[in-house]
Amino acid sequence: MENEGLKTSPRCNLHCPVPSSVLSSVPYSYCQPRCARTLKIWSHVARGTTFRYTYLHSASRSLSPLHQPMEARIFRLWAGRILRLCTRRSSGAPAPGSGATIFALSSGQGRCGIAVIRTSGPASGHALRILTAPRDLPPARHASLRLLSDPRSGEPLDRALVLWFPGPQSFTGEDCVEFHVHGGPAVVSGVLQALGSVPGLRPAEAGEFTRRAFANGKLNLTEVEGLADLIHAETEAQRRQALRQLDGELGHLCRGWAETLTKALAHVEAYIDFGEDDNLEEGVLEQADIEVRALEVALGAHLRDARRGQRLRSGAHVVVTGPPNAGKSSLVNLLSRKPVSIVSPEPGTTRDVLETPVDLAGFPVLLSDTAGLREGVGPVEQEGVRRARESCNFLATVVASVGAQSPSDSSQRLLLVLNKSDLLSPEGPGPGPDLPPHLLLSCLTGEGLDGFLEALRKELAAVCGDPSTDPPLLTRARHQHHLQGCLDALGHYKQSKDLALAAEALRVARGHLTRLTGGGGTEEILDIIFRDFCVGK
Amino acid sequence: MFYFRGCGRWVAASFTKQQFPLARLSSDSAAPRTPHFDVIVIGGGHAGTEAATAAARCGSRTLLLTHRVDTIGQMSCNPSFGGIGKGHLMREVDALDGLCSRICDQSGVHYKVLNRRKGPAVWGLRAQIDRKLYKQNMQKEILNTPLLTVQEGAVEDLILTEPEPEHIGKCRVSGVVLVDGSTVYAESVILTTGTFLRGMIVIGLETHPAGRLGDQPSIGLAQTLEKLGFVVGRLKTGTPPRIAKESINFSILNKHTPDNPSIPFSFTNETVWIKPEDQLPCYLTHTNPKVDEIVLKNLHLNSHVKETTRGPRYCPSIESKVLRFPNRLHQVWLEPEGMDSDLIYPQGLSMTLPAELQEKMITCIRGLEKAKVIQPDGVLLLLPRMECNGAISSHHNLPLPGYGVQYDYLDPRQITPSLETHLVQRLFFAGQINGTTGYEEAAAQGVIAGINASLRVSRKPPFVVSRTEGYIGVLIDDLTTLGTSEPYRMFTSRVEFRLSLRPDNADSRLTLRGYKDAGCVSQQRYERACWMKSSLEEGISVLKSIEFSSSKWKNLIPEASISTSRSLPVRALDVLKYEEVDMDSLAKAVPEPLKKYTKCRELAERLKIEATYESVLFHQLQEIKEVQQDEALQLPKDLDYLTIRDVSLSHEVREKLHFSRPQTIGAASRIPGVTPAAIINLLRFVKTTQRRQAAMNESSKTDQYLCDADRLQEREL
Repeated sequence: MENEGLKTSPRCNLHCPVPSSVLSSVPYSYCQPRCARTLKIWSHVARGTTFRYTYLHSASRSLSPLHQPMEARIFRLWAGRILRLCTRRSSGAPAPGSGATIFALSSGQGRCGIAVIRTSGPASGHALRILTAPRDLPPARHASLRLLSDPRSGEPLDRALVLWFPGPQSFTGEDCVEFHVHGGPAVVSGVLQALGSVPGLRPAEAGEFTRRAFANGKLNLTEVEGLADLIHAETEAQRRQALRQLDGELGHLCRGWAETLTKALAHVEAYIDFGEDDNLEEGVLEQADIEVRALEVALGAHLRDARRGQRLRSGAHVVVTGPPNAGKSSLVNLLSRKPVSIVSPEPGTTRDVLETPVDLAGFPVLLSDTAGLREGVGPVEQEGVRRARESCNFLATVVASVGAQSPSDSSQRLLLVLNKSDLLSPEGPGPGPDLPPHLLLSCLTGEGLDGFLEALRKELAAVCGDPSTDPPLLTRARHQHHLQGCLDALGHYKQSKDLALAAEALRVARGHLTRLTGGGGTEEILDIIFRDFCVGK
Repeated sequence: MFYFRGCGRWVAASFTKQQFPLARLSSDSAAPRTPHFDVIVIGGGHAGTEAATAAARCGSRTLLLTHRVDTIGQMSCNPSFGGIGKGHLMREVDALDGLCSRICDQSGVHYKVLNRRKGPAVWGLRAQIDRKLYKQNMQKEILNTPLLTVQEGAVEDLILTEPEPEHIGKCRVSGVVLVDGSTVYAESVILTTGTFLRGMIVIGLETHPAGRLGDQPSIGLAQTLEKLGFVVGRLKTGTPPRIAKESINFSILNKHTPDNPSIPFSFTNETVWIKPEDQLPCYLTHTNPKVDEIVLKNLHLNSHVKETTRGPRYCPSIESKVLRFPNRLHQVWLEPEGMDSDLIYPQGLSMTLPAELQEKMITCIRGLEKAKVIQPDGVLLLLPRMECNGAISSHHNLPLPGYGVQYDYLDPRQITPSLETHLVQRLFFAGQINGTTGYEEAAAQGVIAGINASLRVSRKPPFVVSRTEGYIGVLIDDLTTLGTSEPYRMFTSRVEFRLSLRPDNADSRLTLRGYKDAGCVSQQRYERACWMKSSLEEGISVLKSIEFSSSKWKNLIPEASISTSRSLPVRALDVLKYEEVDMDSLAKAVPEPLKKYTKCRELAERLKIEATYESVLFHQLQEIKEVQQDEALQLPKDLDYLTIRDVSLSHEVREKLHFSRPQTIGAASRIPGVTPAAIINLLRFVKTTQRRQAAMNESSKTDQYLCDADRLQEREL
């Protein structure tokens, strides 16, 4: 899996002028038994099967002192060769700084006070200007306070310190920008997504910053020593992360899309390479067109459904609902650690939806307390019940807090919490034999709170992505970048009348998807071609 | 058939007993006992002929050793050249001044460009070739090549000496031993023995060794190679039976006519030797369920299909087609073998059934109901047993069935991108011996091997074509880094930069390099390529500079579907992108300054193609640059991956690197299983080496200084 990244990615930017030589520190001649005058003939006696070895001169296999002058001569000859090689190479070293501009979260993952996001590459300055519009570039290498806003919506993201390092005096030797933003997952994710939407920018591959620095001669040897470990760690993390994602719903989707696309591409390629010589079935291209169109629709729908990203930025919505007097308001107060709602032993105390933003296990959450669900009460409380039901319809997570009754049917993510566990007699029967998986909690004593918080964290992680294992934030930017790239390329496929151009668009599209799923070699395409078609003379 | 010219020499088999009378005369050194050449090429097939002439063009005194001079240029399988992907290779061979494209322009009987409607990047130049003419023209060309000597003879063994210290390899080749025991010395040796290494012919359940005249000369060579430690694999291929032309009922078949006008293969030719109306048609027919039935009933009589040796998936025998895709009709192309040939080559019918069943199967096919299977010329040399009996040379109409060939190939991961072997210095492999299939793939490797064998002699750096420069580069890079488990054939889908590596621009990509770096290109061709390149560049910049509003363009060229909604001015180059616009219509609209670019038809067509791909090529150029940066990072050739301790690598990665010996970081990163971490470790190693070298340079300078001082003192004394 680690290798796939390198195989399909535009390869890392390396252009240090290493001589095109063949040399390690020890001249090869020293390693070889050698005597220049030895001539060995392997002569095959005509039509016979035996070999005759003729040594015209006997070979001395040891490096006797007698040989040393010759060794010295060869050494000198060899050293002269290096010199020639070096002078030849040094003139043709390519200029640094070509290629795409990359960005990544440089500080640690998870929740922290300040997060640092870096970009490197020629479009860095452009990206900075776009995010801090209408202000111009800050002075080089000075921290400046700027309001960052999303270039697509104009929505403010964060007030952040930005640093502008024009190349070559920067970490990588290219133009670099650092954004020091507030460390909340929502902010970080927002800025990363905003950067991803700037043309010419793409999320960095594992270790790409360091490789660029290395290529531009910005790292000394000791620093490079650590690089391999770093790359290993990063690719390892990426592999694990990819695995994790691939288990998920999104991974499943991506793999399906990549499969469809690979097949469509294979069929177009078969049509190009074998269409005239062989009898491919009718409608190969039409079939590919249909598949591409379907894929386009699916990708478009997925990209428009940016709810997960949105949730994290504005906070996931958690609604506490249930029958009256189950202790919903007590739970809300417990979670927010402040008296949001009035609590009383009387059912129907809460008559409206009360919302409060809280931080739950690192996730920004909008917590809603609702009126208890019951029929046949006054019009004010009825309206409260209606609003409670309504908010359940579009909210992400519902914490149903019930006394002992069964929960109502719901397709939301539901965490069933049975409150007032302190009222259950220790030896008595449980809260009901047919209840679905549930948690026991006592808002009064705090018993079961840890278990409940952990369960809630898991639910939130499923909805928002888990900030502590992050990559997700970065991953989300990566996903979005590549899915968008794929969709754009599919658009080019449709427009192209020239089939070679159309196939190229599919190749680009597939390249984007296989960055997320791995794979993507040519052999895969050929396998499909030969599996699906009877081609060849 | 005997050409004695001032520079081209032909030493016929009849007087080889006297050992190179002419060669000896020509060598002005003190008359050596044994002849000595710069380059020896073993094998006169498609790789061998290209290799020998390329080496000679580079200025090396070259000897071509072949079994029989009259089989040079033999097309042993299909009577056609080119096709999709293969046509690209031929253009590149031609750009390096190779032979096959020019010979095909003189020998074809049906020229047709495939994929005409799919975009110029994937056009496939193809032609049916007259076998006899091709052979004649090729032999004429070979025997007239300056510095090239041809000798008949079978090679038994290689002469090996101690290695040169500054290169890797456990020994160095310095000549060959022939079957009569005589020796020939040379600085470089190119092996292009095709399927002759332990070749085995299979018909039904019978097998025959495929050597010459009863003995197995190539077995001796094969044993030597194995003894040296070369890893050998086995592949199979096949050929169909040939059918008598007059026994086919063409009137009920689908007729396919050639292109009008014919497009030549070579950049140096404006047209081909034959008018379109004089060319021969091809015909198309299909198999039917009766064919399937015969195949399935007789599988037990067919050892070739059953065996595990890998055959190509893309050149399947009719048996494997029936087995893998049952209940389908398969195409059979009936192709002429030549102008005055009475044979038809049924492409798509390669088979290894016993002879009597082959005819039974063929007569089930529409149009072939009365077909007669005929002995062709082309397979003579592959059938030693029959030749031994003396039957073939006299009986021209002896029925000969289709047959399969199984042969040894050498794992191509054992050669460098210059086609020199890792194990034996100055020994080069080219063609089918490296596991490829097809004349064009062989020819492409031949040119590269010939050039590099010659450059090696003159101690110049190797000439390597990168993946970003040509199909030849893709072919050789795939072979040397990934190896192959089936006969390797070129497809355009193997090429990442397909839109940049087109048949139309092979000369701009390779001719200039071939002239400067290899010296294998004639002055005339070089000048033509330079003119074309600068004209194209000038034309494109002129087209970019002409800008009008879209409505003005619409008025100028009403037939183009230019949308007038855009308010920005439109460049002439963008207008040229429209399918219905070409340089002629553009020049009619804007005669000044565009008219002059329509005078050369090729230039006008190439400008149109450049315009078509302009926008994509910009992005591709960036990617190409990134790949080339990795290619520029060379790994030490003598690195011992298995033992080296300075580089931290997993055992698996070490073994992979050890076997493939990638020359650059780019090649290493393409080897499956080599991780990014391993690549970084290698990078670090390269960097360290570089430092040590810098230190070494200092010391060598001091050395040099001391030497000079010595000399000075001597003089003073």
